[in-house]
Amino acid sequence: MNINWFDADYLPWLIMLFPLLSFVIIVLFTARSRIVSQFVALAGIGIAWVLSMVEFVKVVWASDAELGHEVFGSSIDWMTLGTRTFEMGVLVDPLTAYMLLMVPLACLLIFAYSVGYMRSDPHYSRFFAYISLFAGAMLTLVLADNLLLLFVGWEVMGLCSYLLIGFWFHKKSAYQAGVKAFMTTRVGDMLMMVGIGYLFIVARTLDFREILYNEEMLAHLASTPAVIFGGSAAALIGVLLVAGTIGKSSQFPLHVWLPDAMEGPTPVSAMIHAATMVSAGVYMVVRMFPLLSAGADFHAGDFSAPMIVMGVIGSITALGAAILAVGQNDIKRILAYSTISQLGYMVAALGIGAWVAAAFHLVNHAFFKALLFMASGVVIHAMEHGQHEAAEHGDEHLHHEPEQPDGLVMDYVPPANDIRRMGGLLDRIPVTAITMAIGGLSLAGFPLITAGFWSKDEIIADAWHGAGEGYLLALLVVLCLLAAAVLTAFYTARMWFMTFWGAPRTPAAQHAGIGSFRNAWVRSRWARARRLEGVAVSHQDRSSALWMEVPLIVLAFLAIFAGFIGVHTDFPLLGALDNPLHEFLGGTLLEHPTAVDFNWLPVLASSLLALAGLGVGYWLYGLRPLGAEDADPAEQALGAGIWRVLENRFYIDILYRRYLVRPAEWFAVNIVIQAIDKETIDGVLETIGEAFVWLGEFFKRFNTIVIDGVGDGIPGAIGSFAGWFRQVQTGRIQQYLLYVTLALLALGALMFIQIR
Amino acid sequence: MNFSTDVQASIMAILPEILMTVLAIAVLALDLVWSRARRRDLGYVAGFGLLAVALIVLLVGGPPGDETSDQLLLGGMIRHDTMAQIFRVMVIVAGGLSCLLTMGVSRLNVRGDFYAVLIVSVIGGSLLSAAADLIMVFLALETLSITLYLLAGYLREDVRSSEAGLKYFLFGAFTSAIALYGLSLLYGFTGETNIYRVGRALATGGLGDAPVVLALGLITVGFGFKVSAVPFHFWTPDVYEGAPTPVTSLLSTASKAASFGVLLRFLLAAFPPPELLGSLENVQDYSQLWVQLAVVLSVVTMTLGNVLALVQTNIKRLLAYSSIAQAGYTLIGVAAIATDRSGDGAAAIAFYMFMYVLTNSLAFGVVILFANATGSERIADLAGLSRRNPGLALAMTLALLSLGGIPPAAGFVGKFLLFRAAIDAGLVALALVGVVNVIIGLYYYLVIVKVMYMERSPDEDQPIPVSTPYTWALGIAAAGVLLLGTILVTPLVEWATEAAQSLYVLL
Repeated sequence: MNINWFDADYLPWLIMLFPLLSFVIIVLFTARSRIVSQFVALAGIGIAWVLSMVEFVKVVWASDAELGHEVFGSSIDWMTLGTRTFEMGVLVDPLTAYMLLMVPLACLLIFAYSVGYMRSDPHYSRFFAYISLFAGAMLTLVLADNLLLLFVGWEVMGLCSYLLIGFWFHKKSAYQAGVKAFMTTRVGDMLMMVGIGYLFIVARTLDFREILYNEEMLAHLASTPAVIFGGSAAALIGVLLVAGTIGKSSQFPLHVWLPDAMEGPTPVSAMIHAATMVSAGVYMVVRMFPLLSAGADFHAGDFSAPMIVMGVIGSITALGAAILAVGQNDIKRILAYSTISQLGYMVAALGIGAWVAAAFHLVNHAFFKALLFMASGVVIHAMEHGQHEAAEHGDEHLHHEPEQPDGLVMDYVPPANDIRRMGGLLDRIPVTAITMAIGGLSLAGFPLITAGFWSKDEIIADAWHGAGEGYLLALLVVLCLLAAAVLTAFYTARMWFMTFWGAPRTPAAQHAGIGSFRNAWVRSRWARARRLEGVAVSHQDRSSALWMEVPLIVLAFLAIFAGFIGVHTDFPLLGALDNPLHEFLGGTLLEHPTAVDFNWLPVLASSLLALAGLGVGYWLYGLRPLGAEDADPAEQALGAGIWRVLENRFYIDILYRRYLVRPAEWFAVNIVIQAIDKETIDGVLETIGEAFVWLGEFFKRFNTIVIDGVGDGIPGAIGSFAGWFRQVQTGRIQQYLLYVTLALLALGALMFIQIR
Repeated sequence: MNFSTDVQASIMAILPEILMTVLAIAVLALDLVWSRARRRDLGYVAGFGLLAVALIVLLVGGPPGDETSDQLLLGGMIRHDTMAQIFRVMVIVAGGLSCLLTMGVSRLNVRGDFYAVLIVSVIGGSLLSAAADLIMVFLALETLSITLYLLAGYLREDVRSSEAGLKYFLFGAFTSAIALYGLSLLYGFTGETNIYRVGRALATGGLGDAPVVLALGLITVGFGFKVSAVPFHFWTPDVYEGAPTPVTSLLSTASKAASFGVLLRFLLAAFPPPELLGSLENVQDYSQLWVQLAVVLSVVTMTLGNVLALVQTNIKRLLAYSSIAQAGYTLIGVAAIATDRSGDGAAAIAFYMFMYVLTNSLAFGVVILFANATGSERIADLAGLSRRNPGLALAMTLALLSLGGIPPAAGFVGKFLLFRAAIDAGLVALALVGVVNVIIGLYYYLVIVKVMYMERSPDEDQPIPVSTPYTWALGIAAAGVLLLGTILVTPLVEWATEAAQSLYVLL
């Protein structure tokens, strides 16, 4: 075999290899050295990123004439079972290439950020091993050329998320959150696995080339009736696969794990919420879209069952999570609900067939959400530092800190995460504040200059178009998403202003900082703020700040500029960029998707709504910054009752706890253990046991008379035979030669008897 | 049937032997030139030299052209086919690993003559894999054996080693003499020495069963000794225990692999199933004779080997009985090749031997390291190895899992292929006996794992160091065992199947 590993067909193998290799190296060899482990992890993801860029360039270059009509990849025989050979391979089509643009880069930045963020953690090496495995699994998933390998990556990521969310396992809430995430996503995974199995039964293959790029196969799947529920096989498989996404991408009703996943270290949150885990769920449905939409002409308003499920679930989730985000006070939890909401956008977009828009938003969201999470991590770091210093300075308040509860508690907010305790951080961590503002604007969809605007706008434009044609599903989607857009802008503004604006509301916020002194301007602002408040400037850890802030700056650029590749061609001025993304990504589908005609109304609507949301946020929280004793204006406006509902997350978690988890536990303890196991089975067993004891007594008497003469059963016989035969092995060569001669004679005699 | 006289093809056919002869001379010369301190590195020259030769054989050692008729070279002495290539690779790799393992034995590692004799032994094994003439078979067999007698008794001042060498020599001479008598009978019956011509002459000669049984039985003694099949195995535990451990490793790998290689070729060529002879008429079928023989030997060999391994307390003796049992499994494949024309049986043997060579080198490597560090070869003393050197314990576990046939080690695939071939050939009962034996075998393999990991020892604070040549040898072997059990399964099976098919083309 003569393989040029740098050929676009083979390069993907290397891309996914290196992070996995880092994992192996760290676990087996370098775990004792923090510095080496850190660089092994960085090198692994760094090489993967460089190779991804090479691969991307090669793919775009090769498909220069007609963007995206070539598929690269290679596969090897994995295992042959009976007459079936499972192949394992990689595939790079425009969709994968687009993901390669995002995943390794986001991971690399997260890794770099982790170097600063995790600096003082005692399990530093282990952390880098886990996130390397995580990144490797994500790349495997993105590059896989069949559903089986995709599922392998999917499950490895599930494992990693469990390990990472519960990384601080000595905290009860952390490991409970890990278990919660694992068990909740498992519900979706099981359904997805059933779907994969059924797909294999019907299609006899799981290869993307043979399913997604094969019109006959899609037609076959769409025309085969499903075993249950009526409908086509494609529809049933599609719904099952969508169930996987509902778990993985945290959609209603399986969204409950994601907010609690905030118990993990912040880079993990960024990993899970931006670059990898939740993106994987949406990526899978984006990837499988030809199958999900098989047999349905959605341009004419005929939506297939999986699409309807996605449209409805996505819309509910987008709106519901946006409402919940308004009522949260934990900075990371706000972002968590925001993530759920944004993923709802993508899923809803797929539901109405806005395929390109969904992929576009997936990547843009990954960038700005990674930025927001990592910025929130800096905020938390700064606040923890502030708490520490405040305690040293002997400020009061600390006595009132609520005790860390034992386990997951619905409305408990760790003090360092609580935006009610912040305020005025703009002067203390300006780089973070500004980059977070950029990320927030992108999230809110600030018109024209942010990436989030362009992709969100494209989704809304597609839905608007569908609603205009009179499709009910599209109408539902557009209404929910527009409502969610206002709320998104509002809670983003609320979060930002409460965190950074005005004066510090607690001593912790007053002392907050991470000590970013390289920039003279930053330094002077920071020192001035401290002097104005009459606080001595103290020495702080300088080195970790660089590792944390550089990724933020890079992501801030992407949060702005990543959107320009997808601007509608008819958009004034910016349309001149020619929307390369649509052409490029469109090549992935068998039938090139048509872009909907440009329409001013949705653009204006979404712009105005975003601005309105931001405006209300500014009006409530920016114009007159919250003081230390003030009540939250949103809370006042909504009333305490509704606010409680929001704080308790619509009581869904409590519902699950009360009606699913507790009954399951009760069932396990009372029915399975007590009634079935203890009483029934043990009872039967005891009866049988007694019978055997009696029988044993009988045999014992029998034994002493008969069996003892034979020996202690077969093992004894083997042993004694071996012992006997050992006697033959005397060590005397003369005897050996005699044995050989005898054996030869015996053998000869045997054979002569045989041939007679 | 004509012998090719193409000079270039003839040279290519014995290229590995030529290269290894040069290597042996080079090692001897360096032994003279280098200072004593420097001579410690001779093992690198010999070991990596052999591995390089193996690589060359792997890359360019394939048969010439497409015409199978061109494969019989050098007056019919050598058949240069894919089967010869695959067995040569494993024999030479086994030799290379043994050289690297020798570097840890203090009295041997500075002796160029030891390495040279070892290389000559490998030359014998390599020639044996390709031998296609009665004379060549015997010559190669003796080249392999005589050098091994020397190697087994190389530590003259060590009583156990001398005893092992002498025992091995006496036993070998005795069985060789018997086998030679069988070979000369074959020549007497047919007037031919080329095994393919012998096969035709026998099949059409109308001799009847009795003379053939006589010849076959006598020859079986010779091969039975080489592969240590019961009841010709008596030398095995004593010699394995007494010989320097790298030599034991070589005995259990290269010698056994080469012997199975020639056994396959010899049986199929000299006593062929009639269908393979094509157009000949009035053909007599002697193949069922050796199939029955193989079945009987297989059953007693694996059963006795496993049962006796159960009661061993010395790790080298345990591995000796284990290697007897492994030979028994391999004989299952031999029994299958006559009826199974697809080549699966022969391919299974080739695969099995390939993984076995790597697995046993790995196991013996660990044993040497352990014995050097602690001076003990008792199984009970392995307690706490996982804490003294986790990597070493892991390598040993991998080797034991492979021997026991548990994935992901290569042994699983090997056993699966062997049993499948037996079932395809209609030998279901034999396959079942094999499975039962695997279960018995698992017991003593896993007991060692248990001792290494679960049992504590007072010496746990004394780590066991691993020197550079051992890192290489163990690393290569472990990687091989693992890869052959996972991603390299298909390539190797394909290669072995190709080789097996060439075996069924009688020239």
